[in-house]
Amino acid sequence: MIEVSGLTKTYGNKRGITDITFSIDEGEIVGFLGPNGAGKSTTMNVITGYLSATAGAARVAGIDILENPLEAKKHIGYLPQDPPLYLDMTVNEYLDFIYDIKGVKGGMKERKEHIDKVCEMVGISQVRERVINNLSGGYKQRCGLAQALVGDPDVLILDEPTVGLDPKQIIEIRNVIKDLGKNRTIILSTHILQEVSAVCERVLVINNGRLVADDTPTHLSAMLTGDHKLEYRIAGPKDKIIACIRSVDGVKSVTPTVEAEPGAYEYLVESAEHIDARKLIFQSLARAGYPVLLLKNQDLSLEDVFIRLTADKKSPAKGAK
Amino acid sequence: MSAIFKRDLRAYFKSPLGYVYLAAFILVLNIYFYIMNVYSGSCDLQNIFSFIVTMCVFLIPILTMRTFSEDYKQKTDQLLLTAPVRLSGIVLGKFFAALVVFLIGVCITLVYVVIVATWGTLEFATVLGNYVAICATAMAFISIGVFISSLTQNQLVAAVVTVAVFLGLYLLDYSYSLMNATWAKNLIYYFSMFRRYNDFTQGIFSFADLIFYLSVAGVFVFLTVRMLERKRWS
Repeated sequence: MIEVSGLTKTYGNKRGITDITFSIDEGEIVGFLGPNGAGKSTTMNVITGYLSATAGAARVAGIDILENPLEAKKHIGYLPQDPPLYLDMTVNEYLDFIYDIKGVKGGMKERKEHIDKVCEMVGISQVRERVINNLSGGYKQRCGLAQALVGDPDVLILDEPTVGLDPKQIIEIRNVIKDLGKNRTIILSTHILQEVSAVCERVLVINNGRLVADDTPTHLSAMLTGDHKLEYRIAGPKDKIIACIRSVDGVKSVTPTVEAEPGAYEYLVESAEHIDARKLIFQSLARAGYPVLLLKNQDLSLEDVFIRLTADKKSPAKGAK
Repeated sequence: MSAIFKRDLRAYFKSPLGYVYLAAFILVLNIYFYIMNVYSGSCDLQNIFSFIVTMCVFLIPILTMRTFSEDYKQKTDQLLLTAPVRLSGIVLGKFFAALVVFLIGVCITLVYVVIVATWGTLEFATVLGNYVAICATAMAFISIGVFISSLTQNQLVAAVVTVAVFLGLYLLDYSYSLMNATWAKNLIYYFSMFRRYNDFTQGIFSFADLIFYLSVAGVFVFLTVRMLERKRWS
């Protein structure tokens, strides 16, 4: 449904994105993950035809966005990072305008039904008579999403659709996106790992303008929350505890960090990859009589993921087509 | 194109801009009509038209300053440029919206026409020619304003630059009478936006001048389209 090959965009002599290649099948929900400034928005802007690529091509529904922009754009619903709202219009007027500008075919009755449906879907039915400028940030974001949905496009490109929403709204919008994904192809960008795991079937990780991974969220999160880096809080003498944990098979290193409670230190325990040392460590500590007060996986930040991804894979992104 | 035209036209009257513009236009024009026609008992309406052309220097920039600047600022250009609409459709929609607001203002002169026709003698053909000409002239000025607006996301900058450009054109016209050499006069006349209008006020319907105004409009609409295109590649 979406094919991107060798996409490169330079701004003057500053590189936006470099040689990005991937393809997305019909009905997939794909997450675009990367820190701010990684090139997510640039890639999306190129796919939607807002920017032109310096090199490479993007095709939507088999149509090249540069060769036949009008046809290609008909297949795309796009929510840019800042929702493109005419603040002086009411929600109704705005969506009417979008309906016209997208050239959706249908009489007055179809128009009303369609816009009613879209408003219902994103939950803005109760604010339709209000001027957009007076709406809260969350509602503005939803209006932006509604705009993308008008005309029932088969491809939705959503640039950080949940930014500015409160936690309850985030969950609602994620559910809306999941629902929409049942019969549409969706790309959504985010810099939040949980969002990708919650919504997407596939993740494209982008960093410094390059595609560094193309993977499933399950695999990605397994990597992130792997059992080989653990944080322990254990009561007892530091030296003896270190020795005790070190004696366990598979443990690579033990590093005490801080004294979190009186007489209890925190330790960072790293075991060899793919070895779950938790049971052995527990038993060993229990035998020695040092109670474990706390045990958790060490959370990797997005940056850590990128460092890992770029370090692990010298070869091109796995599974990239 | 029609969707953008409708939205932009409505937008003029969603903010005070459209009303303030029309109020200023009509007020100044009424005063002018009172002094030049009613008070001095003249049936000559041509002055009004050439006065409108002079007023374009300050009035058209108010109409055109926001056309693209506002979209850039609100980032709605992203919406327009990713919608299945031609760039020329976007530019023309905005262009005609500004033109219609201008023409709504010009409609006030119909009242003068009725007054003069009732209590004086009206040169009907001349007046009709002037309406056609004022429309073409406004198209030329508006297209320049729209183009300048497409260069910046700051409305104020757009307005100031447009006024400056129009004043420059006005002064160029002014320097016509100061020149002695025929070639210099010809050259200035070639770029003249204001002096060119004189023929119409004297009742001469000059097709060449009409074509000139329409060509200027065409060129700047085209340049605006190129400008939007260029933004994508920058």
